[in-house]
Amino acid sequence: MTVTPAVIEEEEPTKKGLSFKFPPEETEMGLIAGIIGAVIVIFTGLPAVIKGVGLLLVLLWGMDSVRKTSKYGLGTGVPSIGVLATGYGVVGALMGLAVAEYGRVGQLYPAVLVGVIVMGAIGLVSGIFANGEKFIAMKIPRLERAMMELGMAGTLAILLECSILTGSLSFAAVVDNVMTTGLIALLFIFNCFAMLHPYNACLGPDERRERTRMCAVEISGLICVLLGLAMIGLGTSPYGILDGVSLVVFGAIVWVVFFRMFIKACMDECYATVGTGLIKTIE
Amino acid sequence: MPIEVVLLFAWMLVIAFLAFIACTFEDLESDIGSQSNPNSQVQLAAQVGQINRFFNKAISGEPLSNAMYCVTAGTIAWLLLRQFEPLVPGEEWKAAVLAIPIGVLAATMINMIFSTTSHCGRTAAQKRFEQPIYLDVLYGHLIPIGAHAFMTTFCITCIAYIQSNIGTLSGNPALDHPFALPLLGFIWGITVGAIGSSTGDVHYGAEREFQDRPFGEGKRVVYHGKITRYAECGVRTQKDIAGFCLKFGAPCTGMTFGLIILFENWRSMVGMQLGGFLPALPAFTATGDMAAIFGIVLGLLIVAALMVGNIVFVKWVRKKYGPFVGV
Repeated sequence: MTVTPAVIEEEEPTKKGLSFKFPPEETEMGLIAGIIGAVIVIFTGLPAVIKGVGLLLVLLWGMDSVRKTSKYGLGTGVPSIGVLATGYGVVGALMGLAVAEYGRVGQLYPAVLVGVIVMGAIGLVSGIFANGEKFIAMKIPRLERAMMELGMAGTLAILLECSILTGSLSFAAVVDNVMTTGLIALLFIFNCFAMLHPYNACLGPDERRERTRMCAVEISGLICVLLGLAMIGLGTSPYGILDGVSLVVFGAIVWVVFFRMFIKACMDECYATVGTGLIKTIE
Repeated sequence: MPIEVVLLFAWMLVIAFLAFIACTFEDLESDIGSQSNPNSQVQLAAQVGQINRFFNKAISGEPLSNAMYCVTAGTIAWLLLRQFEPLVPGEEWKAAVLAIPIGVLAATMINMIFSTTSHCGRTAAQKRFEQPIYLDVLYGHLIPIGAHAFMTTFCITCIAYIQSNIGTLSGNPALDHPFALPLLGFIWGITVGAIGSSTGDVHYGAEREFQDRPFGEGKRVVYHGKITRYAECGVRTQKDIAGFCLKFGAPCTGMTFGLIILFENWRSMVGMQLGGFLPALPAFTATGDMAAIFGIVLGLLIVAALMVGNIVFVKWVRKKYGPFVGV
C-alpha cells in the first residue's frame, strides 16, 4: 500500500493511470530524495534539467514532511509549516554557502552539506523542544523526525535552486545572481508554496497521499519553468541558453502531465462532478 | 521648492493611489475565492451538512499568496526589463509599458492554476460530506478571480517599479530604492495581503453573518456554514459577495492601505525635507540623523492623531447604538 496507515481504511481502488506510486513510502521517499538531492547539490556542473529532477524529488520530500507535521489535525497552520521549512532552508543554505569553499574540488562543493546537516540537527532539536515533556509538551506524533526532515529538505531545495540559477555554489556568485537581483524572493516564496500548497489544498478528511503528491510535482514543474526563464535572463549557465530552455521545457511537460493527472484524480474521487446543480435542501 | 522634490511628492501620491486600487481589488479577489473572508465557513459548511456552491480558494493565507503573485510578476517583469531596456536607451518607460503587463499576466495565470488545484483538492477531500464539484462554479469563478488578481498585481508591480526607479523618475538617480523589483514585489505583496486579510471583511463578520444580533454577538455552531447557502434571492455564490463587499468593505480596505502608504511615505519625505536631505542626498553624516528624527516625530504625531480620532469615534458610536451586548 502506498498510503499512510491513517487513511488505509478509506483507500479505494483508483482508476488506471491516476495512481502515482513513486517512491512508495515516506521513509523510502526521504532516503531517495535526500541522497539524490545531496549528490546533485554537490555536483554543480550538472545540466539544469538534472538539477530540476533533484529539486522535484526534494520538494516532494518537503511536502511529505509538511504533511507528516500537520497530519495530526493542523488546519490553518499548514502554510506556516511550509514557511518554517523554507525559513530553515534559507538559513541552512546561507550556512552551507559560507563554508562552501572548504574542500572544494573544481565544480564539486561537498562542504555545502554542512548546512543541510546543521539544519537537520536544529530541526530535530526544535522538534524535541516542542514535543518534550519538560518543555512545550505538544505531544504531536513523529514531530521530531518531521521537523528534522523539514530543515533538510528546505535547505537542499534552496541550495539546488541557487545552483540552478548561478551554475556554481560560490558565495560571491550566489550573492551577485540571487540575493542582489532579488531572485531570492522568488526562491523563497515558491519553495514555500511547493511544500505547503499540496497539503493545504488537499486538506480534509478524505485527503489521499498520492493525490497530494501529484499536486506537489505539478508545482515543482511550475518552479522549473520560472527558474529556467530566470536562467535564460541571467545567462549564467556554462551550457548556454539551451540549458535554460531545456529546463523550461522539462518544467512545462511535468506541469501539464501532473496538473491533468491531479485534476482528473480530484474529479474522479470527489463525491460527484456535476456540470451544474442546485444545493441539497435541508429539512 | 526644487522640481525634484515636487516630483518626489507627486510620485508618492501616485503610489498611494495605486495602493488604494490594489487593496480594493485584493479584498474583492479574496471575497470571490473565499480565501480568507469566509473560508473557515466554506470549509465547515459541508461538514455540518450545508452543501454549498462556493469556490474554496485555499491558497494559504492572503499575505503569502499575494506575495507569490507579486514576486512572479516582479521577476518576469524584471527579466523582461533587463532585455528590453537596452533596446530603447533614454526611453526606458517604453520597456516598462511592455514588461509589467506581461509579468502580471504570468502571475495571474499562476493564480488561476493554484485556485483550480485548491478548489478541486479541497472538494475532493470532503467526499464523505457529499459535497460535489460544480463545474460551473469552478469555471465561473476563475475568470473573476483572475481579473481582480490582475488588477491587484498590476498595481503592486507598478508601485514596485516606481519605487525602484523613483530617483531616476524624479531627476536624482541617487534616490533609487536599493532593493530589486522582485524583492519589492515580495514586500508589497505581503503587505497588501496582510491589510486585505485583516480589514474590511464585512461579509463574514458583524455586518452580515450576525446581522440580526447587536454588535455581532456570536452564534451557535449549528448555524455555521449557513452563510454559504442562500442569498437574498436564490442560491448564494461569491459573485454576489463581491457586489456586496464592493459597496463598503473593499473601498474601506483600499483606503486603509492607501492611507498607510500615504502617511508612511509622507512622514519620511517631509522628514528628509526638514532634515536637509532633499533634493540632493548628502553622504550619511551625524547631522543626517535629523531627517530620521523629524520623520519619527511626525510619525508619532500621526499615530497619536489617529488614536484620538478612533477613541472619539468609538465613543460616539457606542453612545448612539448602545453598549456591546456580546460580552
